Amino acid sequence: MDPLLYVLDLIVFIGIFGIVSLSLNLEFGFAGLANFGKVAFFLIGAYTYALLSQTGIPFYFCLIASALVSAVFGLLISLPALRLRADYLAIAILAFGEILRLIVKSEDWLAGGDWGVTVARAISIEGASHRVDALINIGLVYFCLLVFFVVIQLLANSPYGRAMRAIREDELAAEVMGKDRTKFKAQALMMGSAMAGVAGALYVQYLHCVLPGMFMPMITFTVWIMVLVGGPGNNWGVLLGAALVQIIERGTNILKDYIRFLPVDPTLLERILSDLQYIAFGILIIIVLLWRPQGLLKESKIRSKVQRLAYDGRRAAKNKGS
Amino acid sequence: MEDALLKIKEVSKHFGGVYAVNSVSLDINHGGICGLVGPNGSGKTTLFNTVLGLHKPDHGEIYFHNEYISHLPPYKIYERGLVNAFQIPRLFFNLSVMDNMLVAARGQEGDRLLNSLFLRNRWQKQEKGLIEEALDILEFIELEPWAFTPAAELSGGQRKLLEIGRALMARPRLLLLDEPAAGINPVLGKKIFQKLEALSTNGMALFIVEHRLEILFEYATWVYVMDKGKIAIAGQPQAIVDNPDFYAIYLGEE
Repeated sequence: MDPLLYVLDLIVFIGIFGIVSLSLNLEFGFAGLANFGKVAFFLIGAYTYALLSQTGIPFYFCLIASALVSAVFGLLISLPALRLRADYLAIAILAFGEILRLIVKSEDWLAGGDWGVTVARAISIEGASHRVDALINIGLVYFCLLVFFVVIQLLANSPYGRAMRAIREDELAAEVMGKDRTKFKAQALMMGSAMAGVAGALYVQYLHCVLPGMFMPMITFTVWIMVLVGGPGNNWGVLLGAALVQIIERGTNILKDYIRFLPVDPTLLERILSDLQYIAFGILIIIVLLWRPQGLLKESKIRSKVQRLAYDGRRAAKNKGS
Repeated sequence: MEDALLKIKEVSKHFGGVYAVNSVSLDINHGGICGLVGPNGSGKTTLFNTVLGLHKPDHGEIYFHNEYISHLPPYKIYERGLVNAFQIPRLFFNLSVMDNMLVAARGQEGDRLLNSLFLRNRWQKQEKGLIEEALDILEFIELEPWAFTPAAELSGGQRKLLEIGRALMARPRLLLLDEPAAGINPVLGKKIFQKLEALSTNGMALFIVEHRLEILFEYATWVYVMDKGKIAIAGQPQAIVDNPDFYAIYLGEE
């Protein structure tokens, strides 16, 4: 295969999973919600897009619809789930994701059941090469990524983000300090779900198809690895984590393509390489947890420049006075 | 005393079969320092938590500014100016000292999702004022040099100070303090009480649980003594000191 296409493909995947890891960072890194059902909202966005795009609606409407439908589901799941303690919340959302996958798997009329359906590319140019096609997708994916990144960055640096982090640190103390924890968490889950929904939509339109097998719980855990390795509470960090994990995941897949030419039994090699991914993830997690338990990048500070300025201003005034 | 700031009417709270607070009625007036003393386990902290909305009372009613508040969630009670500082500090440990202070400010514009994104100018202006206010308080509690360190790195006494400073940041109308002087050096403990007294003459009311009676009785204008979930004695500090029952309750002997 075209080696450049491998790289372009990798860049698209990093973008898509960058969006998902940003959304988990909002929920877990800032609001402290252990969402172990990320894939559920990824799936909802994907199927919403797949079904809507078949009716001929323009792709941007489909993308927005994916975000909205996922957000609604995020809000719905937050109603019962937020009353649960963190560990039970994790189990409940995890189960929710599996239930959804089994529903789309067994309901053949919905979207082809286990066989799935094909999904049209959001933007396709007649007769364009694979490279151009990939470039168009990079543009689309990274535009969405940029929008979400800016939004989360602004939120994290505002009093709203500070309140969220306070809730993460100590829910009860935050509540007696005037923060409505249920509201903050529900909003975090809603926004996070919307983003994951958009990522799901981008994913299936890029892969040309949607099938239940694409939404195994492993996706959730891969995204968790991205966030934990990159550094929860740091948006740049989780993007770095997404890139690292995707390079390992895609890299081992690409390796499989090349390794066939070696004079060794190919089936055995392929089996080893399939496991290599998980071995590499395991090693990555162990290394990071040992040497940088807070993730590769530290949690970002809140508006520290303005605070510093005020602090230094007072210091200077005092020195002058004395 | 019709227009008392806080009015607790026959409030009871029990856990299982044990009455932690048993039909307590009391009033806190505007301004002034009111003390609450009593042996360990007499129900002082439970009474505080009930007022804060952390526990719903089993019986009785609580009014703040003539408004019935027993049914309100804690964050709404806080927004009305009824603020608490915990006995054991519950700080946001991974946030800086400064951010701990800023979280506590009441009525922040940027606390709402859409405001934080679209009304940036408004809350940024407000934030500047809040930072100055926070620095003033930090200077007073002698934590200014640590403004940008995470709260987790503070010593035990400093954490206690930050807990109190954070509560002051809310500009409370009524401040509940659970043992503010415990674990703080005597000089600073006294300084804090002096500051609290100054605030109380400016209209802030204080309701303080404190075991260091020598400090409390110097500043309090009225003292309630709690025993086994009930208010046993109430009066001015001098009258309490002169009451022989007080020693029986507090020291558990004649």
